[in-house]
Amino acid sequence: MRSQTDVVTFVNRYRILLLLALVFLFMALFAPRFLNMFNMTIIMKSASLNAMAAIGFTIVLICGHLDLSVSSTISLGAVLVIGFRPDLGWSGAIVAAVAAGGFVGLVNGLLVAKARIHSFIVTIGTLTIVQGIIYVYTGGAALNVTGALDFAVADFLEDPILLFFPPRVIITILVIVGFEVFFLRTKPGRNFYMVGGNRETAWLAGVKADAYVIWAFIISGCAAALSGALFAIGISSATTDLGVNSLMIIVAATIIGGASMNGGKGQVLYSGIAVLMLTVLFNGLNRFGVGSEFRILASGVILASVVLYEAYSNYKKERIRGQRPELLKELDPQQLKNVTSSLKTREL
Amino acid sequence: MKRLGLIALVLMLAGGMVAFAGGAREADTAVAEDNLERSLEVDISGLRSADGQTLLPELSSKEVPSRPDNPRSLPETDPMHWYDMEYLGWGVEEKINIPDSPADGAIGKRVIAIINGDHPYLTAYSTGMQKIADAYSMDLTVLSPNWDLAEQNQMLDEAINERPDMIILVPLDARVAIQQVRRVNRAGVPIILSNMLPEEEAMQYAIAWTGPDDWGQFREMARVWADELGRSGGVAYIRHAPGGSPYFARTYGPITELAEYAPDIETLDMQAPGFEAEATMQVVSDWLTRFGDRLTGIGLADDSAQAIGTIEALRRAGREDVLVIAAGNSKVGMDMVKDGDLLAITYQSAEADGAVALKTAVDWFNGLDVDPVLYIPKQVITQENVEDFMPAQW
Amino acid sequence: MSEDRGTETLREDPAEVAPNMNEDRTLRQNRFSVLISVLGIYFLAGILMIVGVMVSERFLSAANMLSVVGGVTILGLVAVGAAFVTYSGHFADLSIPTTMAFSGVMAVEALQFGIVAAIITGLLVGLVIGLINGFVIGKFRANPIVWTLAMAFVIRGLMRWIWSNRQIYPEVEGAATGAGQHFVNLYRYHLLGVIPMTVVVLAAFAIVLHFVMKQSSFGRQLQITGASFEAARLSGINVSRNVGLAFLICAMTAAVAGIFLTSLSRVGAYYMGEGYDFAAVTAVVIGGVTLAGGRGSIVGVIGGVLVIGLMRNVMTLMGIDTFAQTIVTGAVFILAVGIQSNSLRRLGRDDA
Repeated sequence: MRSQTDVVTFVNRYRILLLLALVFLFMALFAPRFLNMFNMTIIMKSASLNAMAAIGFTIVLICGHLDLSVSSTISLGAVLVIGFRPDLGWSGAIVAAVAAGGFVGLVNGLLVAKARIHSFIVTIGTLTIVQGIIYVYTGGAALNVTGALDFAVADFLEDPILLFFPPRVIITILVIVGFEVFFLRTKPGRNFYMVGGNRETAWLAGVKADAYVIWAFIISGCAAALSGALFAIGISSATTDLGVNSLMIIVAATIIGGASMNGGKGQVLYSGIAVLMLTVLFNGLNRFGVGSEFRILASGVILASVVLYEAYSNYKKERIRGQRPELLKELDPQQLKNVTSSLKTREL
Repeated sequence: MKRLGLIALVLMLAGGMVAFAGGAREADTAVAEDNLERSLEVDISGLRSADGQTLLPELSSKEVPSRPDNPRSLPETDPMHWYDMEYLGWGVEEKINIPDSPADGAIGKRVIAIINGDHPYLTAYSTGMQKIADAYSMDLTVLSPNWDLAEQNQMLDEAINERPDMIILVPLDARVAIQQVRRVNRAGVPIILSNMLPEEEAMQYAIAWTGPDDWGQFREMARVWADELGRSGGVAYIRHAPGGSPYFARTYGPITELAEYAPDIETLDMQAPGFEAEATMQVVSDWLTRFGDRLTGIGLADDSAQAIGTIEALRRAGREDVLVIAAGNSKVGMDMVKDGDLLAITYQSAEADGAVALKTAVDWFNGLDVDPVLYIPKQVITQENVEDFMPAQW
Repeated sequence: MSEDRGTETLREDPAEVAPNMNEDRTLRQNRFSVLISVLGIYFLAGILMIVGVMVSERFLSAANMLSVVGGVTILGLVAVGAAFVTYSGHFADLSIPTTMAFSGVMAVEALQFGIVAAIITGLLVGLVIGLINGFVIGKFRANPIVWTLAMAFVIRGLMRWIWSNRQIYPEVEGAATGAGQHFVNLYRYHLLGVIPMTVVVLAAFAIVLHFVMKQSSFGRQLQITGASFEAARLSGINVSRNVGLAFLICAMTAAVAGIFLTSLSRVGAYYMGEGYDFAAVTAVVIGGVTLAGGRGSIVGVIGGVLVIGLMRNVMTLMGIDTFAQTIVTGAVFILAVGIQSNSLRRLGRDDA
């Protein structure tokens, strides 16, 4: 009995790592031309765009809100970095693009935290508005740069310098790990979890919830814009709808990575790994030469299984609760904590 | 700590496997000596597309005027304003780092085609390509990134990794194509571009571009339209989705042509409600309210959902007199031409589009000279000739 | 929530306080809020009408009004169903577009057995998807957004795989029985030669669903469920069944809308209905159904749908281009919902 719950807890906790290992093993064994250095580079590069944007989505989710505007913000970062490049140079353009993303986040944050409008509404609105601004700015066409130096910068970002890690991937990993450490190891970082997980405790602890919500949205805007900008520099150009498909992948990955729509749960690193897992899956499916419908189907099946599994285990817990309290004693302490904390949130 | 250990484990697992596989690539298979001869003898003149037309039509080129100094400074109604979009690739004289043709025949060659997304047109496109591949017993893989740029980049990298004999690319966007094609070129894999026009600079890294002459088609159709309109009245345009060349070609093609051919025709408005019947229907209804009888013609970027919505709006308003043209040619559009709902659509054989791209690769494998830009023929479908193109390819 | 205190009286017993409105200073301050909470979205519709009249003399013509309504009937059908999901406190159903596409495609496939079989098959698709969504979300309490997103992925993937990315045509599939033409005409029938049948169907759905939401015991239970799931559960309401039914209603109207959209488009294809999920949420929410659940009405939702139609109409009449329209639409959306939830808060209602 005891060991069985141990396994369950272990699987629950490291779900995403096990999933990644499983998918990777399957593809390594069966997908043709999957296992080689070059393909690993491709996977890392492809995962970078959404993995970095997922940072922001995850942290907003941890705070108990939604940021649906990430896909427009990715495009915004990409379009602005290319648009500003001739006037500001690369570094200036990156700063400007990230600042613009941060501004979108600030607007989202203020509307959610101060004007008290639901984040779902606010970010659907800004999703549309930012997309419209991009169209007005570009006139509907993509932007590009074609200087020899621009190509050199692009090649530098995209070619591996260490094993199968190109600089763009290394930057992405550093940013993700940096945020992971910040959110888990520092006091202000942990406060984000408190704000989303238990508002009352946060209030009692003197945490200014509004400020944290606003910062979460700013981080989200910045991360999305930065990921779009880096991608654009790597391809020396930007389309007006670069991020349009990212939102659904990011939502799926964040949930598979263990975050909860109710807030207070999730990890930036695990969201990133979930994006990587989906990329490995897609890459492997491409190696089989099947159509894009299988990518959609496979990600749907994985997402559905994860959601169903989580919902079902919660459901079982709920049934135990209130009906047969003596059973609670048999649960392990971690699970018990979950139950009581969910009890608390319900009562609020 | 446990977590870090697990991450390290996964990474080591991955690393170990990569080291084990060691980037193994399949060895080139030797090519039979008579391959070239057999390739040259393959007869594909009998191939037909689903609509009964010859699969491989006569290809055309077009007259290219000299480039004005700064096209963008000209007014938008001047055809020369769009020079860089319409005549891409013709100005490129020097090609960079194009691999030499092996000139050992096309039979058995491995080609990876990366299209831009999933659409019935592109399904027919792939069918046409496959017919050529079958005729030459080539190993063809068609991959679709489902309109996602990041995905298309990933597929290009994957294709490079597989070292095929040729990559055929339908770019998602003209400007992005430059860096994409350059990457493939840098890796030493020959590449042919197809269907969507790239920016001119991309052409120096590619063997050729083949596809429909979107601008030319719309110019030709605009003349038919103008004649029916009596060279007067007011017209409005429903545009393609933003991004990509059709967004401009299918609106400014007719606008610039009419500015010269029938300057009395007034452009009233242009909107891009997307490929959605209900939204298009509303835009057209709004136009009818706003312009009333001044609106006598509507130009569409698509002959399916946009045409359906437009015709439905006209019918409800009792304005069947408004003359509608559209980019073709889907089954829905063909039926509407037959019923007299649409005045004209363009004939753009999807199967030929795909077939020509691969046939150009075949010619290159066979060591023949390949023109840098090849257009599939353009034709205008009206009620008179619509039967010749039935049944529709998609 | 300091601003709540001033309206404490109203919260305690609205019926008694209401007649004294003019004497109560705090309430006079909130008259705008009262107006918003009563008239809600129709206030915005009125403003748009005035702008419309100023922009074009033909704005008020029967033809234009009919085209405004006619242009949003499919959206309206989706929205009146989606309203139940939001009303029950479960945000949105992201599987709406795939439900629409799937029911359309299946209906076209079934045309070879006649028009009735086709419509029944299409509705069955809605029934099955609605039951699955309703069961998983109602019974197991899965997060609605994520679960319906997963459903959308799975159904879309399956659909594209089965029909290998092709589109199918009612006129071809129904050629043998002659049902194809009937199917295409479904969307095109006009009552008495002027009123589109779709508008009549929408009106019928709106009226029935209005009574379901406001008069039936299911509707009242759903309101409590939406307002407070836990309270509803503890008071013995069968919350699982109610939430499940809300998703079922949503899927059914989506299926009806999907059949009409397919009939209009004359093709059945996997990509039909894209964008209707967010559009429906927009209509539902600006129509006054709050995301917190338990508040709002079908009348408001219809108002929201009309506002979307009017907004597009007026902006096109003004000659605003598509890009600017996008920006304005997004801004109006945030603003409208912001004002509404702010008014509710001023009136001492919940944190909408």
